[in-house]
Amino acid sequence: MLTRPRLRHAATRPPNKRRLRRIVKVLGLQLTLPSAVLAVAFATAAHAKDADTTVSKQAVEAKIKYCEVCHGPSGQGFQGYYPIPRLAGQQPEYIKNQLEAFDERRRVNPIMFNVAHVLSPAMQTALASDFNKLNPKPFGGGQKDLVAAGKKIFEEGIANTDVPPCASCHGPEAKGDGQFPRLAGQLPDYVLKKLTNWTKERGQDPAKPDTSAIMQPIAHGLTEPQIKAVAAYLSYLQ
Amino acid sequence: MQLVGLAVLTIVFSATSRADAAASSNSAVVAKLAYCQDCHGQSGQGYRGFFPIPRLAGQQIEYLENQLRAFVERRRPNPIMSNVAHVLSPDMITALAAKFRDFNPKPLGGGPKDLVAKGERIFQDGVPEANVAACAACHGPKALGYEQIPHLAGQLYPYLIKELTNWGKERGQNPAHPDASFIMAPIAHSLTKSQVDAVAAYLSDLK
Repeated sequence: MLTRPRLRHAATRPPNKRRLRRIVKVLGLQLTLPSAVLAVAFATAAHAKDADTTVSKQAVEAKIKYCEVCHGPSGQGFQGYYPIPRLAGQQPEYIKNQLEAFDERRRVNPIMFNVAHVLSPAMQTALASDFNKLNPKPFGGGQKDLVAAGKKIFEEGIANTDVPPCASCHGPEAKGDGQFPRLAGQLPDYVLKKLTNWTKERGQDPAKPDTSAIMQPIAHGLTEPQIKAVAAYLSYLQ
Repeated sequence: MQLVGLAVLTIVFSATSRADAAASSNSAVVAKLAYCQDCHGQSGQGYRGFFPIPRLAGQQIEYLENQLRAFVERRRPNPIMSNVAHVLSPDMITALAAKFRDFNPKPLGGGPKDLVAKGERIFQDGVPEANVAACAACHGPKALGYEQIPHLAGQLYPYLIKELTNWGKERGQNPAHPDASFIMAPIAHSLTKSQVDAVAAYLSDLK
């Protein structure tokens, strides 16, 4: 009777646990490795725009200083050739939305297009969060004798032209909420310019709908003296 | 004796300034204007002397007033202009600024024409990747300025280069004497030499 020859080393042993383990390992690798590669590939593709999912503190600080050149120290706003809005204390979601809108030209502004175009989403998030934390004094400058009338419009709206109270969406202290912007302390000339030119600048292209279209009927329903009054009131709000 | 001398000097000097204040009469302003024109050009268009002497024509009134005050208070160090500004009463400053605002001569020009297109792009769009704000955002799309922000259209090419290159040295640097022009410091710092040249070339030709 032939006995099984004695094996000299493990590699020549017949199929047993060892080989089974090897088969499972190879099959496993064959399945998981491609899946892993695909997973990484898709993840990379999905985040292609978020090439830098993190952004360095230095880069954010440098970018904020750049923003402040136009938007004023601590983002308080600046009355230059154009009234440049206050960003301090602004709702982060609103800032992010506006930066995206500038980049996609849903909100038409050539200077801000260039600014927004080079900002990664991570940078936008960081900027929005940092500006939200700033709290300089309100810009002021609105006509003082219009403040009382402005407050009334802000809190009660204008019934006969279907203008709702601003406070209903912007909050009783005009601090905003989520995608509704903070208005407190905003430059009066900026508020005036935006409300009188709403349709020219925002939410007009049916091919590129923009949520700020919601303001269109309101801006349309306000007369210029009413806008000036609201702007005056807001300019002093802390 | 010394006290008397001091008193006399005080009287003489105060008499001089009172004379200036009282005489913001047209003839005094015209005379002072002629004196400014000696260096700044017959219509305030600027002059390329040993120093480039800036255009004053069309300048924003508030900006001119601020600069004259800055020269006096040495927030903007310039020995010649300190002496000029030092003897001007507030009324005279206002009158001179108003006169220069109305001048509108052709720009002196003379900057390299091949840099104008690049300069226009930097002026209108800024250099966002380098954190350089668009000049137009504050100075206006035609470089006309606004209140305290200077009119730049038609400004001298070598003057613009000198100011932007030396901003830190000349303006808004002393923390004890803060000056609104500090706002330009980060921009002047971030612009490269070739960018400064280009912007200066663009502005020097702008009407």
